[in-house]
Amino acid sequence: MNAINRIALLGRILILTIAFATTGCAIQLAPPYDKVVADGLTQVNTESMTLLATVSSGSKADTFSAREEKYNTLIGKIEALALQAGARPMPKNKVTDAMNRALDKRSSQPLLDDDFTPPSAHAIKKVANAFIKMRDTDRKQGITATEAQAFKGQINIYLDQATTYENFLQR
Amino acid sequence: MTIDLEQLIIDMKTAASSVLKADVTTFRGFSDRQLKAIGQQAGLVQIGIATNQITEETREFFLDGLEDMALNFAKTLRGLILVTIEKVWNAVVGVLWKAISTATGLTLPIPVLNS
Repeated sequence: MNAINRIALLGRILILTIAFATTGCAIQLAPPYDKVVADGLTQVNTESMTLLATVSSGSKADTFSAREEKYNTLIGKIEALALQAGARPMPKNKVTDAMNRALDKRSSQPLLDDDFTPPSAHAIKKVANAFIKMRDTDRKQGITATEAQAFKGQINIYLDQATTYENFLQR
Repeated sequence: MTIDLEQLIIDMKTAASSVLKADVTTFRGFSDRQLKAIGQQAGLVQIGIATNQITEETREFFLDGLEDMALNFAKTLRGLILVTIEKVWNAVVGVLWKAISTATGLTLPIPVLNS
């Protein structure tokens, strides 16, 4: 979406918002901020980068046992965090329905297949899945340097999604 | 006391603009970072597959990951937009109720839409 389209979309959303707001009720369209989740993400981010650094040049399966506990501890922490982030359902009311319909008109495909889970919870779960795949591959055959780089790239992208969303909830 | 309609409109616009100015910067930064990172990841996966540095064991995982990351990027952006809409909405409602409270001399609690 180019800058002009983005501004036009925001303009339409603003008009829609002000029109609805004049009905006079306060609303909640997103889950509440949870400091435990936000702080947990910061901690998981640091621990993830530390583990990824140990295999940045690739790894051999015969040294896997030295890393196994680190993988398991980190995966446990991330899965617990995903559960906590997902325990806050997305608010659902006639306004969220109207807004989602308006936003869907701009999308090439609807995004509403799972509108009850915050996007951050999905991203955190995917970080855990990446470490599980990485651990299992490491155990089976070791990891090439390119695979280590690709795991890191994927984990960073999901962590950025989760962190940006969770911090944005502090409103 | 009557409501000054012109002032009310100015106050509503000011409340909405101050929220939007800050949040649009976040949208832009997040989008730029994500699009660049997803593009780089796609390039890395493509080269890795072509050179067999991404093995058969992880190939499908990384290819599926690209699709899911792009979809969740869109969902996250939508989530951010909804937070901004909520902030703009509540700021405008706050201005409206303050004006009504001032005009009537009553302290009115702002109703919350739950369904």
